[in-house]
Amino acid sequence: MTLIECRQLTREYRKGETTIKPLDGLDLDVPRADFLALMGPSGSGKTTLLNLIAGIDSPTGGTLRVEGTDIGGLSRHALAAWRSRSVGYVFQLYNLVPVLTAFENVELPLLLHRLSAQERRERVLRSLERVGIGDRADHFPRQLSGGQEQRVAIARAIVTDPAIIVADEPTGDLDKPSAHAVMSLLQELNQELDKTVIMVTHDPKTTAYAKRTLHLDKGRLVERGVDELEEAAP
Amino acid sequence: MNLLLFVPYVLKQVTRHGVRSALTVAGIAVAMFLFTAVQAMNTGVTIATTESANDTTLVVYRADRFCPATSQLPQDYQRRIEGVDGVVSATPIKIVVSNCRTSLDVVTFRGVPKDAFLDEHGENLTLVAGSYDDWRSRTDAALLGETLASRRGLRPGMIFDAAGITAYVAGVVRSSDAQDQNVAYTALEFVQLAGRDQLGIVTQFNVKVREASMLERVSADIDALFDTAQEPTATFSEKAFIGRVADDIIELVGFARWLGLGCLAAVLALVANSIVLSVQSRVAEHAVLQTLGYPGRLIAGLIMAEGVVLALAGGVLGGAAAFGVARYGNFALSVEGASIPISADAGLLVVGLLVCGVIGILAGLVPAWQASRREIAECFRAV
Repeated sequence: MTLIECRQLTREYRKGETTIKPLDGLDLDVPRADFLALMGPSGSGKTTLLNLIAGIDSPTGGTLRVEGTDIGGLSRHALAAWRSRSVGYVFQLYNLVPVLTAFENVELPLLLHRLSAQERRERVLRSLERVGIGDRADHFPRQLSGGQEQRVAIARAIVTDPAIIVADEPTGDLDKPSAHAVMSLLQELNQELDKTVIMVTHDPKTTAYAKRTLHLDKGRLVERGVDELEEAAP
Repeated sequence: MNLLLFVPYVLKQVTRHGVRSALTVAGIAVAMFLFTAVQAMNTGVTIATTESANDTTLVVYRADRFCPATSQLPQDYQRRIEGVDGVVSATPIKIVVSNCRTSLDVVTFRGVPKDAFLDEHGENLTLVAGSYDDWRSRTDAALLGETLASRRGLRPGMIFDAAGITAYVAGVVRSSDAQDQNVAYTALEFVQLAGRDQLGIVTQFNVKVREASMLERVSADIDALFDTAQEPTATFSEKAFIGRVADDIIELVGFARWLGLGCLAAVLALVANSIVLSVQSRVAEHAVLQTLGYPGRLIAGLIMAEGVVLALAGGVLGGAAAFGVARYGNFALSVEGASIPISADAGLLVVGLLVCGVIGILAGLVPAWQASRREIAECFRAV
């Protein structure tokens, strides 16, 4: 069953006199519970596609339907409400709020929902336990390692139980063991909780955790190179 | 959406950026201290000089004289003044001040005929310590206004010196009249004789008129009565008299209003600067909140709320400090025997806090609006 449907998806920017087209008429279907890795050179449109799917950017052409909703046609306010329900975003640099503890960071998305304090607390602790960092709930980001920070960010992404998790180079700032742990975690969320994970990566090794890998170049999907297939082997 | 849920977030942003918040709050507190102090002086001037419909007191002074040392009227004018139609009583008063300059700590002696004074003025006074009998029975006894007693730390039974007069504290009185709060009432003869040998000479007469509507006519009649006398008089309503002798101070206090407005501008600049810097350094953080689904107007509200919290914190500190100093320091600006209280009440504090709240909102308005309109993807690209 198709969860995300892109048809002739286009995104253009104007920079002075020049028009930049990071996405150029892209067609893509993502089924529910897919784990999709997006690869490609810098400027190929990976992050733009990810941002469009996450609803933090809007297409300038084509359609983007998620769970049947044309999110390109939503107002700013409606799109914000949709994001809070449907998408969890994992950033490369974690982007935790530095003055809040791990618990408070994970609680942030829940403040938008009608939940009692007790329900929020239970959900936050469950999410932190799920990513294996329940014992660090009262730690501030500066007191955590990069891997731990990324786990908190993943807990924040899943705490509202969204259908889609998007991750923009989630291991880009991590050492190997931490990267492995984070990727294993995303894989678990995909396999055990049926979350649809869409991940942008430069690292062919991380694509081994995904169910499929797509390559972008100049804003379009392209065939995958043989050398990358070899690099991706675990 | 329950907006109260976001209050802890706002408070954490303020308290956990400790240094930045502390510096901002300290700056606001200093500015609000000055603003509240200036407002307290303004309030004092208003209290001392604004006439009410119930005012029935006239002050008869020596014409063309502006200070107690030079205003000398024969005491026997009393009988003639009391003969003017509409006059209920005339109280001769001899004023001696410890300091001819404008000061925050002047001791003003008002020599009055004791029994007549208590009969006519006693209802305005509340004895808070000591006794009237003691005051009546001792020649050197003084009845101190509460502000003066409190400022000088004087209690019944104590002896004090000021203006070359040594007096015994017989009692402390409280009054709604600012002039009573900051003086020492003694026997008229005691002040006349205290080193000055001016028996029969007084500084002024306080004249009680039957009705407020008669003030103008009675004052004209009194001045006409002494128009050709060796010591002509100038008669004013009591509040107008204060306004006349304290003209310089009132002008200065009026100018100080600009200082107060300057303080508010400083608060606005401080809060705005703090919010702008805070928003600029947290572009990514606000973009993350938007990514999590926070609508733009909620983010704008959070930013403005931070401004309000900072402004209110500074306002509470500065306002409370000024309130405490004005209220418990018992200061009064004294000039030529007239007293302008520095008056702070809870209303002044509330006004200060409301002003701070409005400034906090204003200061955050533009950065909040900008932050709420930013494109999320642009923010991440810019960081």
